[in-house]
Amino acid sequence: MGSSEKRSKDVMSDIPTFSGENLQKNLKVIQNSRTFLSIIAGVLAGIIGFTGLTGFVFYFVVMLITSVGLMAKAGFSADLYFDSWNRVLFDGFLGGLMSFVLFWTFAYDLVHIF
Amino acid sequence: MAEDLVLDTAIRDWVLIPLSVVMVLIGILRYFVSKLMRSSPSPDAKIVKEGQVIIRARNLKAGANFIPLRSFRTRRLYFSNEENGLLHVPKGQGTNPQAQMFSDPNMAMDMMKKNLSMIIPQALTFAWVNFFFSGFVAAKIPFPLTQRFRSMLQNGIDLSTVDVSYVSSRSWYFLNLFGLRGLFSLILGDENAIDDTQRMMQMGGFGFDASKSLGAEKDGLDIIQHDWALPRFEQRAESVLRKLVK
Repeated sequence: MGSSEKRSKDVMSDIPTFSGENLQKNLKVIQNSRTFLSIIAGVLAGIIGFTGLTGFVFYFVVMLITSVGLMAKAGFSADLYFDSWNRVLFDGFLGGLMSFVLFWTFAYDLVHIF
Repeated sequence: MAEDLVLDTAIRDWVLIPLSVVMVLIGILRYFVSKLMRSSPSPDAKIVKEGQVIIRARNLKAGANFIPLRSFRTRRLYFSNEENGLLHVPKGQGTNPQAQMFSDPNMAMDMMKKNLSMIIPQALTFAWVNFFFSGFVAAKIPFPLTQRFRSMLQNGIDLSTVDVSYVSSRSWYFLNLFGLRGLFSLILGDENAIDDTQRMMQMGGFGFDASKSLGAEKDGLDIIQHDWALPRFEQRAESVLRKLVK
């Protein structure tokens, strides 16, 4: 998660050019951080004892925080590092959901229904 | 309303945790086994040549705007010249690799091995779960679901008044199946993160038809309009050099 993001777009030439390899590496970084955070969010939600809708709201809050964090790391100009804004903001939202639910259930059961 | 059942601690220790641990270990095992069993098929020279030609054509398409117009045109002509261009396949001569694929024992064995190595651990684990861990409440999922899920989630439990949140171990198995994908992608590095569920979706239709892809590349090359992307590269080189020298 601490790896440096590389520029994948060269804005000095007239036509935007992408470096495919850097673009993919940046996407990997996003995916890894989202997965990791969704697992941690699941464990937290289970320990605190969220149930029902509150838990899902918590998941979306954590995802939003991830988005803000990634944006901050990209220097708030996603154009330099990714090909579209949507990737930084919304990619991988639902992918982490299943991991979140698993760890949420796990932690909740371990702590509360012991 | 929902009475809080108090479940035996032994269920935690002997059902939930072992099942998760077993699934993680099986996933790791499968990853290593597939790595070991990856037999490299002896490549056919013609197919490799055609593959490389396609890669070259694709590179030309990708970098078309970075070379001057005339260079691009000469290269394109080399590929799509009617008589001896590389991509030009005379009609009726395209081999049919689909038939080749199924009569070639190596590739069929490979595909079968891949299929089996995915399905067998899943089926075995599922059977194990059903045999040992059925008939009791295993976990409580923290969010409420409608009654329609009852038959799916509470498979071994025959009481109809128990809240749907209390699920059997079969559903814990399925929950693990989907949820551990993310964990695998973190542990195993970024390559083999996709496991069963995604590979099952990708499995249909993997035919490498050489003649069709050659024709497709040729058409793609013909379509391209050359748009010179570096008209001011002398100025740009100058500014970069100035920054370096400062």
